[in-house]
Amino acid sequence: MIRFDAVTKVYSNNSRPALDAVSLEVDRAEFVFLVGASGSGKSTFIRLVLKEDRVSRGAVYVAGQNVANIPSWRVPKLRRGIGVVFQDFRLLPNKTVFANVAFAMQVIGKSRAVIRETVPDVLQTVGLEGKNNRMPHELSGGEQQRVAIARAIVNKPGILLADEPTGNLDPTTSMGIMKVLDRINSNGTTVVMATHDDDIVNTMRKRVVELRNGSVVRDDAQGIYIGETEVLAQ
Amino acid sequence: MRFAFVLGELGSGLRRNLAMVISIVLVTFISLTFVGAAGLLQLQINQMKGYWYDRVQVAVFLCVDNSTSPSCATGPVTDDQRDEIQTILESESFSEYVSTVEYESQDEALGHFQDQFANSPIVDSVTADQLPESFRVNLVDPEKYEVINEAFSSTPGVDVVSDQRELLERLFTYMNVASAIALTIAGVMLLCAVLLVATTIRLSAFSRRRETGIMRLVGASKAVIQLPFVLEGVIAAVVGGLLATGTLWAVAHFALNGVLAEMYPETAFISSTEVLLLAPLLIGLGGVLAGVSSLLTLRRYLRV
Repeated sequence: MIRFDAVTKVYSNNSRPALDAVSLEVDRAEFVFLVGASGSGKSTFIRLVLKEDRVSRGAVYVAGQNVANIPSWRVPKLRRGIGVVFQDFRLLPNKTVFANVAFAMQVIGKSRAVIRETVPDVLQTVGLEGKNNRMPHELSGGEQQRVAIARAIVNKPGILLADEPTGNLDPTTSMGIMKVLDRINSNGTTVVMATHDDDIVNTMRKRVVELRNGSVVRDDAQGIYIGETEVLAQ
Repeated sequence: MRFAFVLGELGSGLRRNLAMVISIVLVTFISLTFVGAAGLLQLQINQMKGYWYDRVQVAVFLCVDNSTSPSCATGPVTDDQRDEIQTILESESFSEYVSTVEYESQDEALGHFQDQFANSPIVDSVTADQLPESFRVNLVDPEKYEVINEAFSSTPGVDVVSDQRELLERLFTYMNVASAIALTIAGVMLLCAVLLVATTIRLSAFSRRRETGIMRLVGASKAVIQLPFVLEGVIAAVVGGLLATGTLWAVAHFALNGVLAEMYPETAFISSTEVLLLAPLLIGLGGVLAGVSSLLTLRRYLRV
């Protein structure tokens, strides 16, 4: 589903690369944790999949297509096939829960009837049934992130990218979010989640790819992760 | 649906940026009014050319007592001289330039003079013998005035050959200068309008960067993201164009055709419907400038 072929990304000429000759393959319906300290290249990985940035060397394939060869007017179509969730939720504060999710369908031209039918289903999937008309500020952090996830998956993308989705949440709430992501994954969506939350990684027992200074240092099926805090403690 | 969505975004953009949108409307209104005024002046010039060039004549003034030109050295024109001039004017060789020739005697000249200056006290002090008699020559092609001038200006008995068109040309020069000034002001104002649109769109894009960021992520097309912003500028400019058209129409209708036409019944003024011919041009100009300006701004300040 996603393939990185010796990808190097250098942001400015004299700095060290954000990604350094990374080769990696993520299969369809796989769940992958991308772990590593801040600055290890997790976010760069996500940006390259979305074609937000251009690779310096190598190639990124999404659904079999080299993203470098996608002309700019086709990039929206690429992005429709990828849902994204961020640490800071990025909801529209003046729209209700329903409207926030519906927004993602409106902007790609879905009809009102389809929207009315789909959005409640998706809100149920993320565990927000009955909160259609709440405003984002009336929700807890975990609920806001569920809205963001609902928005990311409402157009049924094949891939869900999550950049530190639990970074702002307490452990209990985080586990709730992980259950939602796991459920989405079990429906056949490829999930790539960047995180440095070792508790979550160790509980979920999924594939773990560890990045350090832009290089893949470990790629374990059902792996664990020991974050820096633990390393220092030892 | 997408159309409705774009309209909804447009509406919220217009509301959010109301003060800036109003300023775009006003600046384009003023600048397009100046553009339109320059256009109307040109139309008026053309109108007057069309009207007067058919009527203007070359006047061949004959010598009177106090004429000073060398060809009048022998005193007032004699009957022989007058006949000869008339014969030449009506001769075969001039027929390709001259369409009609009319003789105006001193008494007739006085009559015309009295008509023209009916309200002026000068009328009472002028007598027929002070006014020259003349041949009024209508030319086939009014541009060929020089032919008559060369042929007759040194003929004995002819004082001066005068082309009425020259008087009109002077008037047209003033009107051209006025329309050039209007165009210059319009140019400066239009530049303001373009920069104002750019600033407004930039602010608008900034204030809605959260929305556009999400639109980008969920795969909205470039058109859906940019169109509300472009339309925001274009609609404001078009409203400005409509106001300008309305103002010009009112000026043509009430000032030109109302007041001035009554004061100068002899002059052919452009009608207010001609303003409406200018309207699509003004509105189009406003719309295109705003559209181009906002597109260029978006290319720089809105990532898609």
